[in-house]
Amino acid sequence: MQLSLFTALALLVLTAIGFLAGRSRALALAGNGGTRLHSLPNYHGYFVALWAGLPGFALLAAYAMFASMAVNSLVLGQMERAAAPLQAQYESELRDDPAYTGAMDEIARLEIAISELRDEADAVIESDGVQSDAVAELRERQAALQFEIDDARFTRDTRAEAVAAEMLEDLRAADDLALARAGFEYGRLPSEQREVYMADARALAFGVELASRDTPELRALADTLRPIHQGLAWGGSLAALGIALAGLAFARTRLAVRFRARNRVEWIISAALALASLIAILTTLGIIFSLLFESLRFFASIDWRVADFLFGTQWSPQTAIRPGQIGQSGSFGAVPLFAGTALITLIAMMVAAPVGLFAAVYLSEYADSRVRSWAKPLLEILAGVPTVVYGFFALLTVGPLLRDFALFLGYEDAVTQSALSAGLVMGVMIIPFVSSLSDDVINAVPQSLRDGAYAMGATKSETICHVVFPAALPGIVGALLLAVSRAVGETMIVVMAAGQAANLTANPLESVTTITVQIVTLLTGDQEFDSPKTLSAFALGLVLFVLTLILNIIALRVVQSYREKYD
Amino acid sequence: MADAAAPNSNKATVYHPLQSTQPVKVAASGVEVFYADQQALHGITANIHDRSVTAFIGPSGCGKSTFLRCINRMNDTIDTARVRGSIRIDDEEINDRGVDPVLLRARVGMVFQKPNPFPKSIYDNVAYGPRIHGLASSKDELDAVVETSLRKAGLWDEVADRLDQPGNSLSGGQQQRLVIARAIAVNPEVILMDEPCSALDPIATARIEELIDELRENYCLIIVTHSMAQAARVSQMTAFFHLGHLVEYGPTEEIFTNPRDRRTQDYITGRFG
Repeated sequence: MQLSLFTALALLVLTAIGFLAGRSRALALAGNGGTRLHSLPNYHGYFVALWAGLPGFALLAAYAMFASMAVNSLVLGQMERAAAPLQAQYESELRDDPAYTGAMDEIARLEIAISELRDEADAVIESDGVQSDAVAELRERQAALQFEIDDARFTRDTRAEAVAAEMLEDLRAADDLALARAGFEYGRLPSEQREVYMADARALAFGVELASRDTPELRALADTLRPIHQGLAWGGSLAALGIALAGLAFARTRLAVRFRARNRVEWIISAALALASLIAILTTLGIIFSLLFESLRFFASIDWRVADFLFGTQWSPQTAIRPGQIGQSGSFGAVPLFAGTALITLIAMMVAAPVGLFAAVYLSEYADSRVRSWAKPLLEILAGVPTVVYGFFALLTVGPLLRDFALFLGYEDAVTQSALSAGLVMGVMIIPFVSSLSDDVINAVPQSLRDGAYAMGATKSETICHVVFPAALPGIVGALLLAVSRAVGETMIVVMAAGQAANLTANPLESVTTITVQIVTLLTGDQEFDSPKTLSAFALGLVLFVLTLILNIIALRVVQSYREKYD
Repeated sequence: MADAAAPNSNKATVYHPLQSTQPVKVAASGVEVFYADQQALHGITANIHDRSVTAFIGPSGCGKSTFLRCINRMNDTIDTARVRGSIRIDDEEINDRGVDPVLLRARVGMVFQKPNPFPKSIYDNVAYGPRIHGLASSKDELDAVVETSLRKAGLWDEVADRLDQPGNSLSGGQQQRLVIARAIAVNPEVILMDEPCSALDPIATARIEELIDELRENYCLIIVTHSMAQAARVSQMTAFFHLGHLVEYGPTEEIFTNPRDRRTQDYITGRFG
């Protein structure tokens, strides 16, 4: 670790040296102001510095990414080779063990018997049908055989375990072939424990972390691992420094009076900028693929009944843990979640769109600069309030208020946690988004258009309705759609204020739940990542992603088709 | 011609003997404009004649546009602007409290430096004024107003078959004529033009100048321009502004061939500006 840090520092120093070397070489080429260089000396300096720094750092980064993988595969190879004779000895001992070979024979016999039984059953089903007594009897016999074969397998495995343990015990007593023992142990481990085994060896080798076990085998493995790791680290560092030096020397030879260092530096800068945007794009792709693969696992676990997921009206993932349970197939219908999301978003937008737009129009067209200077920041503070606080507000203030009001109006089933209270509070939360973005858009409408309308004898509100608004429409639509994605993705307020019951209803006074809330519920706490219940969260995430993607595409289309050109 | 070499410090306006036979349409007297604490116009007094083109010339920042915007009270839309003095259109004081600036602007149309068609179709751009002022009672009538206005602006033949396309799909010169048609559609008495050709190429400019000449038959036109040649070509009367003062005012030919103030002379011969 420290070594790569020193290497990085050394590379920085080399880069600086490269700059100075390039610059002084350029100055030398220019002579005493006699010749005119194509590029200023500093650009020659940057050029050499970049050649010195970039390949070295790239190599160091590659080393950091792949070093542990390389160390692992080298160590594993060595371990396997060491363990090969041990493995051979173990196999020959098993062949000579009567208990083991007896169990193996038994298993082979039983397997043949079962397959014969299966053929017989097929024939009976062919002639008599599935429901016949003969088939039932065959089934019973098959179950008995299955029981026997499980028994034999258990005997075989216990025996193999005992033989292996005995062998290792003898070797350990003689303190012989420690690395081979490690390889043998490692080979017998189930795959999910191998990672832990290697981690323990690493911990023993470097003493940075605490190992969970400390055995002679692990010690031996650690002793093998350490030099390989150190060798690779030194090799990587030296290679990085070497390539940096080579780059420096090469770049320095390229310098000449007509050399276009300035253009080269420009090219490298544009490449670096392109790389930055590429990182964003690749991250997005990575997110899409991880969502996609987990979703595919989910769909596989519900036997590819994608339509049931997308169009089913029953959402109760908690009951689907055990197979064969009643209603299992219908319990992943996500329509109530979509409906809940749509309902709350609709309510929120019904609050945020008009209020936000009117606030924006007031701020940009009517308010004088003094009012504007304090009103706009104040409105934007709303955007800074944490959503949890909005959640409190919805749960403790708005919810009870709405319930009491509904009771007062004679609606008996009113509850505190309702779609309406979540939607209203979420709408308030989104107001600053709508107003701030629309305000910017309205301000961007050129004054000449307003002047044109005033000069035609239009009043202020006519000017705003007929001229300013249509001109700002694409931006306003963009702002509204952004607000919609914000509402669709909002979680905290809904968790607290709308309840978690997956009701399929259009009644805003009932509890509903949304896609995001369900994702949170499914993934928080201790979860196993192979049950359909947990995996369904990824499928929901995918739906959410596609939904917001479609919204964005629509937004872009609208903006493009209404775009006005103002220069 | 003894006063031809009047000193620059002379703030009194030089008025050439009147040669226009047209009646006075706009009579300004002692007009002063302040932006916050800064005085932009100093006591402008001038009579502007009907059915003729009056050009306002002068270096940038001389107050010619400010004065133009006084005539339809566009300065009201600027919070910090204050206007003093009297401007009468047909003997009616427009700075009176009783005058509704919105109605005044229907009588005094304005065309701006950059073409500014509304984000609407060509038809709706022209129909906008008649609609908000209720000038047409039926669709047919509105169609007729739109066609007449576009014909007067010399644009009808180019857009007749695409009236439903957006106004800013037209070229710059066409847009400026569209804006003129829009101004004409409400049947104004005075048309103000604030450097209407400065964003256009020479061909489009020639087309607009031709149009201005045609419009002179029916309207009182006032045009602010930076092009002396344009002022000479299209106007009958010219007013030269400098540093917020009206320096010299008279028939265009007189001003250009025989300026009486040194500053006018310097400006039109290109010595400053």
